Amino acid sequence: MIRVTKRVEFCAAHRYVNPRWDEEENRRRFGKAVNLHGHNYVLEVTIQGTPAPDTGMVMDLKALKDLIGDTVLDRLDHKNLNVDVPAFADRLPTPENLAVVIWGLIAPRLTDGGLHRVRLHEDDGTYVDYYGEGCRS
Amino acid sequence: MSARLASTEKTPIVEVTQSFRFSAAHRMHNPRLSAEENRRLYGRCNHVNGHGHTYRLAVTIRGPIADETGSLEGRELLADVVRQRVLERFDQANLDDLITPADGVTSTTEVLTLVVWRLLDEALPPGRLVRLRVEETPNNFFEMDRGDRG
Repeated sequence: MIRVTKRVEFCAAHRYVNPRWDEEENRRRFGKAVNLHGHNYVLEVTIQGTPAPDTGMVMDLKALKDLIGDTVLDRLDHKNLNVDVPAFADRLPTPENLAVVIWGLIAPRLTDGGLHRVRLHEDDGTYVDYYGEGCRS
Repeated sequence: MSARLASTEKTPIVEVTQSFRFSAAHRMHNPRLSAEENRRLYGRCNHVNGHGHTYRLAVTIRGPIADETGSLEGRELLADVVRQRVLERFDQANLDDLITPADGVTSTTEVLTLVVWRLLDEALPPGRLVRLRVEETPNNFFEMDRGDRG
């Protein structure tokens, strides 16, 4: 079993507002993140599998790049996550939730168990890893 | 609009890694060995007047996403815990004044990693800390997972 990672970047705006809290409470909990702001995100998508005997590849990295482009970048890159992405109508656009949403966009397009990890860097030095629910204890 | 995930969904479990830095001096030296043996074992790290590093620390916690913040439960406390437990202790300090024989024979980064693990693990909710990476330099780094504790 080999794991293969494709790294891509995208840029998006977001703000943190919990609609069950008033403005003051949101500001207290989230600070300046209540204001619309943006990030250059770095996304690492790791797949796993056995290299095919005829190609020596787990998956063509160009195909993986295109898949990430079609499923993730077309929806998130240069977008306002709160407004433009339906998944964030009912959850906050944190890097934790972004990693889960991105998993949900990519996993159905791969064979079962093919997606190993979604790693999302929001800022230098901080990143979120998601391995799918119950995939790793 | 609600910040809650739809009730049919399970709460996802995620891992978050945050990085920190501290600068510290140390000297690798085992007092039970001769000067010659120490020089042979630790080389230039045994230099008599000590030396220092900018250590980089990557702390990984694991847990459920809290509905109301969208963040891993208690993530907002992590930076304070690391600052209080580790950075205030080791930043701009001499590790050899702080690492005791009970921790290990000398201030190797292996011993430092075990000490940092203990300091963080006892301050974080049970099971929350899952991985630690201590970089002594960009070329030398040391990692441990929860499963590695012996």
